[in-house]
Amino acid sequence: MTDVAEGIGLEQTQALEERYLMRTYKRAPVDFVRGEGALLWDAEGKRYLDFLTGISVCSVGHCHPDVVKAVREQSHRLMHVSNLFYTEPMARLAEQLSDSSLGGRVFFTNSGTEANECAIKIARKHAHGRGVAAPEIVSFESDFHGRTYGALSATPGLATNEALGPMLPGFRSVPRNDAASLREAVGENTAAVLIEPIQGEAGVFPISEEALLAARQACDGVGALLIFDEIQTGVGRTGSLWAYEQTPVRPDVLTSAKALGGGFPIGACITGPAAADVLEPGDHGSTFAAGPVATAAATAVLALVDDPVLLRHVRELGAYLCERLRELDGVRETRGRGLMVGVGLEDGIDSAAIGADLLERGLVVNAPRPDTLRLLPPLVIDSDHVDQAVGLISESLLGFAQR
Amino acid sequence: MSRRGRRDDPAKKTLRTDTAERLEAIVEAAERAAESVIDDAETQARRYLAQARAEAERQAGDRVAEFSQLIDTLLGQAIALQRDAERLQVTLEVAKDRFLDEREEGEQKEAELPSIERPAAAPRLRAVDEPEIRPEPVADPEPAPAPRSDPAGARLLATQLAVSGSSREEIAERLRIGFEIEDTDAILDAILGPEG
Repeated sequence: MTDVAEGIGLEQTQALEERYLMRTYKRAPVDFVRGEGALLWDAEGKRYLDFLTGISVCSVGHCHPDVVKAVREQSHRLMHVSNLFYTEPMARLAEQLSDSSLGGRVFFTNSGTEANECAIKIARKHAHGRGVAAPEIVSFESDFHGRTYGALSATPGLATNEALGPMLPGFRSVPRNDAASLREAVGENTAAVLIEPIQGEAGVFPISEEALLAARQACDGVGALLIFDEIQTGVGRTGSLWAYEQTPVRPDVLTSAKALGGGFPIGACITGPAAADVLEPGDHGSTFAAGPVATAAATAVLALVDDPVLLRHVRELGAYLCERLRELDGVRETRGRGLMVGVGLEDGIDSAAIGADLLERGLVVNAPRPDTLRLLPPLVIDSDHVDQAVGLISESLLGFAQR
Repeated sequence: MSRRGRRDDPAKKTLRTDTAERLEAIVEAAERAAESVIDDAETQARRYLAQARAEAERQAGDRVAEFSQLIDTLLGQAIALQRDAERLQVTLEVAKDRFLDEREEGEQKEAELPSIERPAAAPRLRAVDEPEIRPEPVADPEPAPAPRSDPAGARLLATQLAVSGSSREEIAERLRIGFEIEDTDAILDAILGPEG
C-alpha cells in the first residue's frame, strides 16, 4: 500500500513539533498528508484504511466532494462577519438541526466542549428560574464532556487532576448505568443530568435503557433538564441521525460537534421547546461560531447523512462488523451501536500494542482503554472495507498470541 | 414763456421720465410677482403630484410585499410538504426493497437449500441487535435489569425508531429485548399501521 512521498517527511515534522508545540499530545509516529474516502496517505506515500476518522469527525469520508465543494464555494463568497450580522448558511443549518431533532433553538459553537459549555449555562439559568440558588449537574462516572472548565468539571475522570484545580462547583457523578444512584443523586437542586447515551472516550459503553428512563423520570420529577452529549454519537454514527432516536427517552437539550462539519470545526447546542428561550442577549456568544464556511460545510454533511438509506446501511454494516469481529480469537465482546464499535479484548492482550501494530499494518484505530479497541470508520464504507479491517485485526491478534 | 419753452421745460421732462420709469418698474414687479405666483403654483402642483405618485407607489409596494410574503409562506409550506413526501417515499422504497429482497432471498433459499455454500467468516448483513452487547467487564454495579414496566418508554422508543427509519422487525426486536414485550403488534400497529 505505497504511493508517492509528499511533504517534508515525518522526521522534520517531529523536529518542528518538538521545538514549537506544547507537549499536550502523545502522537503516533505517522505524518498524514492526504485523505480520500476511507483512505489516508502518510508522507512516505504509505496508504492506510482509516477506522477512526479523526475520532468520528470525517464520518462522510475524508475530503468528501460535496463538503469540499461547499467549503470552496462559500470561502470564495464570504468567510466571516461575526455574529453581529445575519448570514444565510447559519440560519439554514439551524433550521435543519432543529427540524431533525428536538424542534427548539440552536446555538452554534466551534467545538464539542463549547457546545457543552452552552448546555451547562442553559441548565444553570433554567434552574435559577426555578429558584435554585446552587444548581448541580449530575453525570455518569467515566463520561467525557470536554476539556474547557465547565465540561471538564462534568468529566469525573479528568476533574480529579488537582494540578488544574479548582474545578467549577456544582457537579457530581454516579456509577455508569446505576439507575438507583442516579435517582438518589437528582434532587431539588439538580439543574440537569448531562450524559452521553453511549460513552465514547470511556471505551464505547451504551447506557442501559433503564438508566436512561431513570434519568428522564428523575429530571421530570424536579423540573431539571436532561442533556444528551451526542458529540460522538450524533450525525448518523449509530445508525440514526441522533442516538437518542434509538432510546426510550427524548432529551431536552443535545450537543453535537465532531462529524457535524465533516472535518471542518463546528459544534451546536440544540434545545427542545422547554429550553429554547432560556438564554437571552448577553448570556452567551462567540466571535467565530456560526461562520458561513463552517455552517455551509455542516449543511453539506447533513444533506449526506440525513438519509434513511445511508442510516440503514450504517446499522446493517455495524452488525456485520461486530459479527465478524466476535469470530476472532482474542476478541471477548463487541459493544456499541451502528458504526460506533468498542472491541473488548481478552485478558492479557494490550490494546495499545495492538493499535500500534495495526497502524504498522495500515489500519488506523485507537485504544481508549487497556482492553479495548475503538472503531469509528466512515459511514460510507462497504463490506469489503470491513473484511479488510477484520482481516488486519485478525492478523494482529494472531501475531500477539504468537509472541 | 413760449409753448416751445413750456414743452422743453426740463423739470417737466424729468417728471415724465421718472413716472415712466416708475410705471415700468411697477409693471415689471407685477410681472415678476405674477411669474413667482405661477412658479409657486407649478411647484406646489408638482409636489402634490409627486406625493400622490409616492403614495400610490407605496400602496402598490405594500400590496406587492404582502403578496410576496404570502407566496413565500406558500412556497415554504410546499417545500416542507415536498420534503416530507420525499422522505416518506424513500422510507417506503427502502421498505419495499427490503421486502422484495427478503422474499427473493427466501425463495432462493428454498430452491438452493441443499447446495448453498457460504463462507463461515462472512455472515450476512443484518440490523444491530442488543443481546450481543454483552455486559461490560468493569467493576460496575449489577447489570441493569430491563425496564419491564414502562409502556410510555416502550412507545417512545418505538416511535423514535420508526421516525429514524427502523423496520418493523428491528423495532419489535428492541421492544422484546428492552421491555420484554412479547406481543409487540399492538404498539407497532398503532405507530406503523396494521401489518399488510
